[in-house]
Order: sequence, then C-alpha cells, then structure tokens
Amino acid sequence: MAIGIVKVKRNVKMTFWERSYIPEVLRGIAITSRHFFINLVGFIPAILFGKERKIFTVYYPEERVKYPDAYRGRPILVLGDDGVEKCVACGLCERICPAFCISIQPAETELDKERYPETFTIDQSRCIVCGFCEEVCPKEAILMSQDTEIADYDRKKMLYRKEDLLVAEKDLRMRQAYVRGAFARWNY
Amino acid sequence: MDLIIDIIKILFIFTLIMGVFSPILGWVERKQSALMQDRVGANRADIFGFTMIGLFHPLADALKLMTKEDFIPQGANKVMHTIAPFISFVPALIAFAVIPFGGEYIIHGKEINLVIADLDVGLLYIFAFASLATYGAVIAGWASNNNWSLLGALRASAQMISYEVAMGLTIIGVFMVYGSLKLTEIGAAQEDFFKWGIFLQPLGFVMFLAAAIAENKRIPFDVAEAEPEIIAGYFLEYSGMKFIMFWMAEFIEIITISGIVTTLFFGGWNIPFVPTATLISFFSSLGDTWANIITMLIHIGVFFSKIIFFIWLQMTIRWTLPRFRYDQVMKLGWKILLPLSLLNIFVTGVVILLFKK
Amino acid sequence: MELLAFYILGAGAVVTAVMMVIHRNPIVSALNLIFTMFCLAGIFVLLNAHFMAAIQILVYAGAIMVLFIFVIMLLNLRGEDWPPLTWKKLLASFIGILFVGYSLIKIIGIFRGSMLPVATPLPEDFGTTRIVGEKLFTDFLLPFEVTSILLLTAIVGAVMLAKMKIDKG
Repeated sequence: MAIGIVKVKRNVKMTFWERSYIPEVLRGIAITSRHFFINLVGFIPAILFGKERKIFTVYYPEERVKYPDAYRGRPILVLGDDGVEKCVACGLCERICPAFCISIQPAETELDKERYPETFTIDQSRCIVCGFCEEVCPKEAILMSQDTEIADYDRKKMLYRKEDLLVAEKDLRMRQAYVRGAFARWNY
Repeated sequence: MDLIIDIIKILFIFTLIMGVFSPILGWVERKQSALMQDRVGANRADIFGFTMIGLFHPLADALKLMTKEDFIPQGANKVMHTIAPFISFVPALIAFAVIPFGGEYIIHGKEINLVIADLDVGLLYIFAFASLATYGAVIAGWASNNNWSLLGALRASAQMISYEVAMGLTIIGVFMVYGSLKLTEIGAAQEDFFKWGIFLQPLGFVMFLAAAIAENKRIPFDVAEAEPEIIAGYFLEYSGMKFIMFWMAEFIEIITISGIVTTLFFGGWNIPFVPTATLISFFSSLGDTWANIITMLIHIGVFFSKIIFFIWLQMTIRWTLPRFRYDQVMKLGWKILLPLSLLNIFVTGVVILLFKK
Repeated sequence: MELLAFYILGAGAVVTAVMMVIHRNPIVSALNLIFTMFCLAGIFVLLNAHFMAAIQILVYAGAIMVLFIFVIMLLNLRGEDWPPLTWKKLLASFIGILFVGYSLIKIIGIFRGSMLPVATPLPEDFGTTRIVGEKLFTDFLLPFEVTSILLLTAIVGAVMLAKMKIDKG
C-alpha cells in the first residue's frame, strides 16, 4: 500500500473580525507596545531597587554563556597529568580529517609510548570543527574545546602549532566524561 | 523680508529632518525594536566612554558608510547607478514643502504662515513627487545589472503603482469633507476637536496609513527588498553613501507620512479643545507679538509631537507584523483597498449631500 | 525671469524629446521622455495651471512612464544598432527634412503676418483645482464621461486579451 496522503488540518476557520485584519493587527501592536513600554520604564526599578530587568541580552565580551559539554569548539591536544602530551602520532586524525587541516611530524621517544608528535599543526582557517579527529583518536589525545574565538587578521597566524594546542588534562574532565559516555555506545 | 522668512522656514525644516530626525530614526529603529523584543539594542559606540544609550551609533554608521568603498558592479550602467539614489532621495525630501507645521501668526504686524509653499494643489504635489520616487527603485534595480535587483525593481514598481492609486483614492474623502486640497486649509478646519479627520474619515485613515506604508515599501509591505527572498532587492548592489541615501529616503518618507497623517486626520498643529484664539488670549499679557510667538512655538511643538507619535506607530507596525506574500500585497491593494476607498468616497458624498444642504 | 524659465524648460523639453527618439537604449529613451513630461509640467506651472502640472507629473511621469519602464525591463530590451544607411533612406530623409522645413517656414510666415490675440488678464482663480473641477463637471461633462467610458472599454479589452491567452495556455 502506498503511503497515504495525510491532510493536515489547519485551523483556518477565522471569524469575520479576524479576517478583517485590523483588530488582529491592533492586538499584535498592543502586545509589542506593551513590551516596549514595560522595557522603556524598566530601568527605573532597576536603578531604584536593584531589581533585574527582564532582558535576556548577554553583554558578550564581558559576559559569556556557558556552553554545554557536547559543544564542539576548536580541537585541542590533551596534555596528560604527567606533563607529556597523550598523542602518539598515529596519524589517524590526519587521515580522517575531511578538511586536511591536521599535519603531524612523528618522532621517537624514550618514554613508554615510544612515539610522539614532533610537530602537530592544525590549520584553523580550514578546520570545519566536525569532531572526527576526536572520535577517531585511540588515546583520547585530541578533544574539542569550548573555544570559538579563532578569528585573526593573518592566515599565517591561523596555523596552530603544538604549543598553542596543548591544554592540561585537568581542565578537560567534563569533555572527557562526555566523550566517553557518548562513544561508549559504539563499543570502542 | 519675505525671502528671509522663507529661507528660515526652509532651513528649519531641512535641518530638523536631515540633521535631527533621519539620523535619530536609525537609532530609534534599533532601540525600539530591541525594547519591543526584550533586548538591549545598540549601546556600544562611545566617545570617551560615554555611550549615551547608543545615540552615537548613527554617527558611527555615517563614518563607516562614508569611508566605505563605493562599489559599482561590472556591467552596470554607471550613470544610472549613481543617480538612482538621488532620484529616490530628493522626492522624499521636497514633499515636506507643502506640509504646514503651524498655523498663521501675526508677528510685528506681519502675517507668517508656517508652511514653505502653500500650493493650491497641496496634496497632489506630494503625490506627484511620491510617484517619482518609484524611479529611484526602478532605475537602481535596472542599473545594477543583477537579477535580484531587477526582480526587486519590478516588484517595487508594480507595488508602488498599485498603492499610489489606492492612496490617492483613500484621501479623496478628506478633500470632500474639508472642501479643499490645500493642507493649510485642511489643518485650519480641524481647530474643533470633533472635526478632526479621524472622526470624519476613520476608514480613510486606516486605509491611507496602510497604503502609505506600502508606498514606502516598509514591512509588512517590503516585498521589494525582502531579504530572505531576493536578498535586498533593488539596493542590493549599493554600498557606502549611496546605500545610506536609500536608507535616509526611507526614513524621510516615514516623517512625511507622519506629517500627512497628522495634518489630514489628527488636527495638524491644533491642540484638542484649545483653539488658537484662546491660546493667544491666554498669553496676551505679554503683548500681542510675544503671545503670537509663544503660540507659534507651542503649535510647532504640538505638531512635531504628533509626528513623533506616528513615527513610533509606524516603527511598531514595522516590528510587529510579518511580511506579506507578494500576491497578498497585490490582492490587498487592488481587491480590498481600492473598492473600499471607492465605497468610502461614495458614502462620504451621500452623507455630505444629505447633511450639508 | 518667467521668459528665461520658459526658454530653459522649452529647450529641455525639445532636447530630451529628440534624445528620446534617437537614443538606442530603450530605458534611456524612456527616462528622456520622463524628463520631457517634467519640462511640460514646468511650462504648465508658468501658465498658472498648477493643477494640470501636478496631474501631468502624477499621471504621465509618475504612473504611465513607470509602466513603460516596467514593460521595457520585463521584456529585457537591449539597445539596437543602427540599421545600415542606404542611398534610398538618405534620399527619403533628405526629402522629408526639406518638406518639414518648408512647411515650418510657411507656418511661421503666416503667423508673423497675422496679429496674435492680445493677452487678456486672467481671472483670479484661473487654473485652481476648483475651477478645473467646475468646468469639468459642467461645461465638459459629456466629453469627460465619454473619456471614462473609453478607458473602461480599453480596460475590459485588455482583460479580455489577457484572459484569452491564459485560457489557451
């Protein structure tokens, strides 16, 4: 059986006054102008009694909204608690990156992990903040941060080197927990 | 002497509109929309840390737009592209010449009529120049060599022609009631509160306001620019000073519409229940000349307060209603406003015949 | 002063009218025609016919020419090149100019010979809206109504033509 056509029942039955448009326009104007006048005198109680104004605006550079843990900002590298980056320079993120913005130069090290990235560069002007690198990383070494302010005047400054990318692990617990919870579903 | 008075009147209106009203309207539009939507609105531009609740934003805008590159797209008709903003700007400005902003006063034995040009054709003059404003949009759209602009221009011309007809017919009732085309006479006839146009022509007022907003191409009738559909319509390819001229033309037209509505329907410069003679006799202890001068200033203040109210009303309408679809705009113009205005004329004529004889 | 204004307006009207005929770009032609209408309105003002001037701008420059431009833009007419000049055309235009010039000289000669009527002082309210309205609805009522019927016929005809096309397509 073919998919039945569902007729959406729209409530289009309007009374004469509603169809004549003017009363409804007046109602709309009443609503908006009520807000207008409330806000117009709204600063007076704010000054006199210290009441808060009913305005949702966030004064951005001074005030900031806390993003949820699931928010994907620019990718960063995790600096482990022992002071060494977790990355083992396997190159999986480099491979999966759809924008080809990651470039890694691996090198050997005396530590247990044996390999480490000598250079780890993310071209932020190309990064599309998809989060694939975070998803593919076997060592939880690359995570998405909450930082969104990545604009700059020079393209050369958009190349973030390893030193720019490293963030201490203790600042990333929330995101780490979220990533573990989210990816546990796929049995990694 | 007459010439000096005329020049003073022209300078007064010109500075008031160009220097005070139209820059501040840019601020009003932002700030009022913010207040209506529970936001804060523009408040960041500052001079030495003083923001003046965002009043410096028009200044910052002007600086920005003046220093911006004046871009003319490839394949555009350069001459037409350049004169189009002027064509839409000038008619909006000179329409104010026939709107009286006060009555007649005797100062030092000299009669002063507070209107720049008291033409016999009065309102027809405004319509004549408002109809020329269409060319600003049409030529701008055509000369930009851009399909969206052309679409905007086509929409603008069709819409403006349609609503010119409706706008002209809606106020014929007013002419019939007051028996004159002269705006000064219409204003003077409304000295009695119960003879205000809003009581004699309520339907005419509503229809005229709708048609005038449509003629100005503002929301809810801004299908000619309609950012989500045709980007910005006819001024899509404009930047810098030319863009600001379209902007200013729109604001000046708001003021002109407010002026016409005030003069035709809301008693012009008259204060309800306070005739001019009462006001002059109230101040008569100061001497005849000073009484007249104070009355004149009060009347100018009253007139511009009314204008400010209608600017507020238009801004509220603009930030309240959503945009009409294009066919709805046309339907409203031709199938609703036009027959209703004809009916209005008919009923007005019948009533005048029945009661005036 | 008035004479100077008349000469400026008259020259403007003639020049823009000629430009309208000879310009290749249809939009520019239409704009020139608008300017001609404007100059004619100015001449009406000089003749004390303010109502006529306002109507001239409102109807001709404001409404009808917008429709012209609307149609030109809708059809997207581009400028056309001049057709090649042939001997036949050259000869024809030469004869045409000769004929028109001769007629003009003759007409001017006739007018020069005759006396122009002495200008009578105009009545106080000449050209006002009231007088135009009164004349229109008393002395010239029949032509006025006939014109309106003519326009109505034209509108009905246009609707019929448009509707036939829609029904077929």
